Amino acid sequence: MSRRRPPHALLLLALLARALGAQGDPLLRLDAGFATIQQPAIGSVRGREIADAALVAAFWRRPLDRSTLLASGNLTYARDSLAAIQGVAALSVPWRREPNLRTDVGVAGASFSLRSAGTGGNANAFVRQHLVRDDDGGWVGGAMGRTRRDGVPSATTSADIGLWRRWRFLYGSASVAYQHSSDWLLLYTAGELDARSEADYDLIDLQLVLQARGGPHDLTLSWTRRRVFADGPLAVPALQGSGTFQLTDRVALVASVGRQLADPMRGLPQADLAMAAVRVSFGPQPLPVMPRAVVAEAVVHREVGADSSGATRPRAILEIRVEASDTAAVTVAGSFSQWDPIPLRWEAGVWVARVPIEPGTHRLGVRVGVGPWRAPRNLARVRDGFGGESGLVVVP
Amino acid sequence: MRVTSAPRRWMVGPALAALLLGVSLVVPALQAQTSPVALAIPDAKTRQVVEREIARAVSRGLPSAPLVAKVMEGVTKQAAPDRIRAAVAAQAQRLEEARGLLGPTPTEAELVSGAEALAAGIPTAMLKQVRAAWPAQSVVMPLDVLTELVARGVPPKQALERVVTLMRRGATPVQIAGLGAAVQADVAAGLAPDAALEVRARGVMSLLPSPAAAAALAPSGRRP
Repeated sequence: MSRRRPPHALLLLALLARALGAQGDPLLRLDAGFATIQQPAIGSVRGREIADAALVAAFWRRPLDRSTLLASGNLTYARDSLAAIQGVAALSVPWRREPNLRTDVGVAGASFSLRSAGTGGNANAFVRQHLVRDDDGGWVGGAMGRTRRDGVPSATTSADIGLWRRWRFLYGSASVAYQHSSDWLLLYTAGELDARSEADYDLIDLQLVLQARGGPHDLTLSWTRRRVFADGPLAVPALQGSGTFQLTDRVALVASVGRQLADPMRGLPQADLAMAAVRVSFGPQPLPVMPRAVVAEAVVHREVGADSSGATRPRAILEIRVEASDTAAVTVAGSFSQWDPIPLRWEAGVWVARVPIEPGTHRLGVRVGVGPWRAPRNLARVRDGFGGESGLVVVP
Repeated sequence: MRVTSAPRRWMVGPALAALLLGVSLVVPALQAQTSPVALAIPDAKTRQVVEREIARAVSRGLPSAPLVAKVMEGVTKQAAPDRIRAAVAAQAQRLEEARGLLGPTPTEAELVSGAEALAAGIPTAMLKQVRAAWPAQSVVMPLDVLTELVARGVPPKQALERVVTLMRRGATPVQIAGLGAAVQADVAAGLAPDAALEVRARGVMSLLPSPAAAAALAPSGRRP
């Protein structure tokens, strides 16, 4: 078989590199490792072939004023049997009025050259609405994708809905995804279609994920049951396990083993894989590997600033810092803001707000998602008269 | 000219009165529609009840700002309408109580600080003692620091004793505020609140003049 090169790989790499270079203070995570991949072999007689592949992946994130921009890409290469590159760019925007709601929109692209599933490319776009509360949440989303495989175009649409919940160190989620696709070759090579019928098909995936987190380490188990509706209903199970072990502040080992089901939305085939990689994080602070418990602190310090008349004078600044999941929406409100919630910004691994504050006694509260209003832990606490509490800060 | 000016004057008077009456009726209605409470509470029934509660307090001579702030807090925290009304009523009661305890003519800021102190569980008699220590100066900062100390877990009696001692020894509001901040830092570092207060109060007192000198230096003017 002649060696096939991904046609769009260089273009995607150039775009990603340009994006990385254009940002001032990016958070960057790089993975490099090896994998053993067993994939279906395409041809008149079905079989399976094993390839040893090299993996390189990058994840980049930049917090903006009220949103977060994310990009990730990965390259898998196993000489002439497998070469694939994928890129994703997404924008995550919390709602102004309802900070517990967040909308993610994004585009993704892939270019592949696979002995098992042909040569081609894929582009897709997705939108997902999240509800993020302290210890639970959910999402609903949809996506549309186009794939060209060996010159044959196909289309896929999908919708998914899911719920998640956290119990101390355990995180669990359940989701259902529906996909309708005309990329019949992908499922044929996976053995999920009996004949080269060139017909559309439907997939319904039920996925359960359980993750255990201890400090910066985590272990994840994912079980998927797929029902394929084409020639007749067919059930396909898949089990996958993965883990992250943090060696130092910036270096971690990641490993994964199990079955990855065919993904018509991204044009990627079914494969059984075992992967191990070294992950290195760059940036002002390593990316949080896991959502942390909510810890809020408030301090008042003085700085010289201009008042409303333009004159410079010392003024008090209330600084709120909250350690919480980077996926949460965090707000602070208090008598200093007439109880109008002020969104915190994600800065170097923590949520931060700096607010000018007048002398006197102020009550304030911090809220993560749609959870309860809490007093920052370093402040005196008083009952708020509504069944909750407020923090008390005295500004001289 | 005189013949025509008399009827004009006769007409101008009632017209002016009607205009003034109209303005007096329309302006409060507009203000009510655009007040923070009106904007914050979309439910008309709840809004009316809360506004009535605030109007009742204002008619008793209490400031409306701390009551509106309480409403805004409740709305932000998505409290039930009944809870908001009850919280506003309780705040009004504390303001009235503070006015009696911090008399004869406490400022609005003193009333707010007094109400906060009562809400934090400081006994009424202690507010009187704070006022007695500084009859002519603003007791806002001593009350705020007292409230903060008690909310941190310092026994009210011990907190009052230290704050009043500092006041009588001539400590400035900034020095008293510094006591609160220092105790906060010590508690955050792991020290027990009462032990932190003892240590820090002694530190501040070492900088103050003797009781006799403090009495001689005590200001005699009215508080701002």
